[in-house]
Amino acid sequence: MEENLAELERDSVSAIAAATSPDELEAIRVRVLGRKGGALAEISKGMGKLAPEDRARLGKLLNQAKAAIESALESRTAEFESAALTARLDAEWLDLTLPPAGVKPGALHPLTQIQQEIEDLFRSMGFAVLDGPEVEDEFHNFDALNIPPDHPARDMQDTFWLTGGWLLRTHTSPVQVRGMERYPLPLRMIAPGRVFRNESVDASHEHTFYQLEGMMIDRDVSVGNLIYFMQTLLTEVFHQPATVRLRPGFFPFVEPGFELDIRCLICGGSGCAVCKHSGWVELLPCGLVNPNVLRMSNIDPDKWNGFAFGLGLTRLVMMRYAINDIRLLQSGDLRFLNQFS
Amino acid sequence: MKFSMQWIQELVPGLDVPAAELEQLITVRTAESEGVERAGALLEGARVARVLSAEPVGKLTRALVDIGEGEPITVACGAPNCRAGMRTVWVPVGVKNVGGIESNGMLASAAELGLGREDEGIIEWSSDTIDFAPDSILEIDNKSLTHRPDLWGHLGMAREVAAITRENLKDPVDLALLPKGSDSFNVRVDDYVLCPRFSVVTFEDVRIAPSPLWLQYRLESLGLNPINNVVDITNFVMTELAQPMHAFDRDKLRGDRLIVRPAFEGEGLLALNGEEYVLSAADGVVADGERAVSLAGIIGGKGTSITEETTNIVFESANWNASQIRKTSARLKLRTDASMRFEKAQDPANTVRALARAIALMRVVCPEARIGGRLTDDYRALPEPQTIPLKLDVLDRKLGRIVPPDEVREILERLAFKVRDAGLHLFEVTVPTWRATKDIAEPDDLVEEVGRMIGYDTIPPEPPRVACTVPPDDPKRVWYREIRALAAARGYTEVYNYSFLSDEQFQRFALSPDDALRVLNPIASDQNLLRTSLIPGIFANLELNRKHFDAFRLFEIGREIHNLTPAMPREIPHLAAAVYAADGDGRSGLFELKLLLLAIAAEARVEPTAEVLPYEHPARTATIYIGDSVVGRLFEAHPSMIEGRAAILNLDLERTLDLRPQQQPFQPIPKFPSSAFDISVIAPLREYSAALETRIREFAGSLLERIEFLREYSGPQVSEGMRSMTYRITVGSPERTLSSDEINAVRDRIIEGVRGLGHETRT
Ligand SMILES: [Zn+2]
Repeated sequence: MEENLAELERDSVSAIAAATSPDELEAIRVRVLGRKGGALAEISKGMGKLAPEDRARLGKLLNQAKAAIESALESRTAEFESAALTARLDAEWLDLTLPPAGVKPGALHPLTQIQQEIEDLFRSMGFAVLDGPEVEDEFHNFDALNIPPDHPARDMQDTFWLTGGWLLRTHTSPVQVRGMERYPLPLRMIAPGRVFRNESVDASHEHTFYQLEGMMIDRDVSVGNLIYFMQTLLTEVFHQPATVRLRPGFFPFVEPGFELDIRCLICGGSGCAVCKHSGWVELLPCGLVNPNVLRMSNIDPDKWNGFAFGLGLTRLVMMRYAINDIRLLQSGDLRFLNQFS
Repeated sequence: MKFSMQWIQELVPGLDVPAAELEQLITVRTAESEGVERAGALLEGARVARVLSAEPVGKLTRALVDIGEGEPITVACGAPNCRAGMRTVWVPVGVKNVGGIESNGMLASAAELGLGREDEGIIEWSSDTIDFAPDSILEIDNKSLTHRPDLWGHLGMAREVAAITRENLKDPVDLALLPKGSDSFNVRVDDYVLCPRFSVVTFEDVRIAPSPLWLQYRLESLGLNPINNVVDITNFVMTELAQPMHAFDRDKLRGDRLIVRPAFEGEGLLALNGEEYVLSAADGVVADGERAVSLAGIIGGKGTSITEETTNIVFESANWNASQIRKTSARLKLRTDASMRFEKAQDPANTVRALARAIALMRVVCPEARIGGRLTDDYRALPEPQTIPLKLDVLDRKLGRIVPPDEVREILERLAFKVRDAGLHLFEVTVPTWRATKDIAEPDDLVEEVGRMIGYDTIPPEPPRVACTVPPDDPKRVWYREIRALAAARGYTEVYNYSFLSDEQFQRFALSPDDALRVLNPIASDQNLLRTSLIPGIFANLELNRKHFDAFRLFEIGREIHNLTPAMPREIPHLAAAVYAADGDGRSGLFELKLLLLAIAAEARVEPTAEVLPYEHPARTATIYIGDSVVGRLFEAHPSMIEGRAAILNLDLERTLDLRPQQQPFQPIPKFPSSAFDISVIAPLREYSAALETRIREFAGSLLERIEFLREYSGPQVSEGMRSMTYRITVGSPERTLSSDEINAVRDRIIEGVRGLGHETRT
């Protein structure tokens, strides 16, 4: 009996090792370990006839054989599972360099993008973002900004005049006036938007372009404050420290009035074609709000003052992306616009 | 406006700054310089040359010339007046072979030297030396001089330069030269608003001749034509003092009097430029006893102008109303050196200064001429000197920097303001007459004077000390930004289209021109209406881009502008979005846009419409509602409009935002399980799903939680012309779990109801 047991164990372990599939393994398990009719079960049936001391010894041997066979089965099963997993993983090879299916994101217009950046910056500094009409009356576009009726800015060649006595706003400055009419002081506001000038279109001129007007009215607003805001703005827009300079410029709605130049970002100020070898690029008009403009909006210039500026968004976009033809911006051409996604 | 560096140096004798540096200083202190040009460049190294011999070689002359040093040199010359014995000017331009002659340098004409117009022959030189040198011409942007009448003359700019460099200014005017004695000429001013001041002197025994070279050189280098001595003097004075003048031939004036008056309606004037102008009562003229002889402040008449025969002259130096000159000049499309200056509001005090200067120049240029009688000077009242209180602490606060009072005083005085101490931190500042006409009126104007002279670069940038307040938010803007982000994430690219449309586009898109504002002065005839719809622009975008892409999506957020005159126009923000595909049946584009719509406004309903516009596909057009209000349209482009399939969404954002529901408090999650069952309805193909769903909702009653559309089907097992639409109906109650009887009752009601509509059902 002992010999039978030893032989069964030997044969089973080698059969398990030789099995080539999980099914074959299962057949071995049933044949050897099966509760009914399995080889081990048959052997244990014969044990009842043995003397008690032999029974105990053989029982121990039987358990040892069973454990050995089970362990062999288990490890062989694990081998099969691991092989199956490896095979599956290999079969599931996927080319992740393929482009994904589905819709790719579109793009926001570069003017929208730069406008949103600047809006966020000014909102973070407590400025409200205001809107105004594109069709204006003479009062808001001119009179209220201290531009009298015979000022050159009112010439037919600059302004689009409309039926009904209306005009297309030539700047975003009327929104200043509407802001002062509508909101209490102190007031900090910007107003981005579309403006119009009656000008023939070529690579560097457009009749429709985009500005961002800014104004701050408070108790003591200084030229130093204006320089601070402009430097902060331009540093943010160009993602590098900006150096600015102010020089006299005449605009009826500010006094003193300035042209603000930025140190050329291309050459750093040493002179190049972009800055016409001056080291500076003219960027925006600004100044302290003219007392006449305040009075026109029923604000006492002895108590309040402020600054205003008019940023050319179109120009900023062209500088940032080195766009050499202004007409592309309103071409609706996706070969151009999709580049900004 | 051009400025001669040499001229400025004559007025600021101590000036020792090179032109390139001065240009920068002027730019940051006064007005924008556009660059420096060189005038009379050939004068560099020019020498007086005597022609020793002149031998014709073909069409040229081989001249042997003595240039005052070294051996005589050989020069090839093509001028007809090149002859032995003459004195002329030689210029070193290098040695080269000219027509077979080894020529060293060249003999120059007056025009080549920049000394005049004459270019027929080489210059005849009488002096032993050449007292001319190349000049630097500063070009200052006219726009930056709009508010500065004084800077339209060299003296004004010289005053700025003197102030910037702290040098002294020399005034070239000697008022003592103005003649006293008996009246020589009568003037009558009928309109002192048009003409605040009219001043005249006369000269007799004048000999008209070319001006001396120094005078021609000055005019020539600034781009003015030298004409003759008298006319050149008027131009010289204008360029120096910014006061335009005019000279009449006295013998051609009829009568003894000049009259300043509005023109008669339809009155004609043949002007110096050869043009005949027809005037109106809105224009001002200077007339003699019979007719207009000059268009006030703009141009003189031809009939009374200076000619070679002229011997007696009348110098006019007048002050004109700026806006009047501007209007006439604009109406006649005639801008002259005079009108440009008068438009800037010139100083009435300047008329007699200009005459004094002209008299001084006549003495040099026409010494034989005699002045006739005294100055005639007609004016009603000259403006009082203007004084402005300047608080020094306010000045410092506005600039953001402390400027010592002594420095403020010095700056203002150098600019010819008079400064008086008027108390603690207070100056009383008197404005010079030439700054008082429209430039300086308020303390803020003086802040600018001080600020620009200390240099804005001396003001430190500083954040303001202000209340920390949250700015008001504009819900519209916030929402547009969300829509833009949403559309871009879903594959739409943003376009910006123009606000202009053409009559033809209005017609093509069935828009009413009566609803639109018309541009009175359009750039082009096809851009003469303001858009009342974004759709024509979107179609243009589709047409352009389909040439390059088989499929694409785009959108625009822009304003429709509707005419409501006399009320303000209505500007209505719209979203227009489009999905284009060259191939396919077009369904997916429409449903993609519907998905975008629902992402923007979940409560929007897309409903069939009977009224279809000519550019819309008649069977694929829907109206978009929120509640009972129409907020937009969803449609496929009519096949006649574009090749391929274009789905378009047009949404009124203003109305949509107004109608968006308020955020509601949350609904509790049901405590008791709900139950669901599916029902398929077999209905005719063109029965609308949304209508059917509404009816099912009614049939289901109050236990209904939601209806979900699962699928549609047509084909085998469904009769021809019919389709099956399957809905999942979910029912439940917040109070209890429904019994199967209750659920079945709902199902039976729906089935019965749908059958009542004449449709079969399947469950
Ligand atoms: Zn540069």
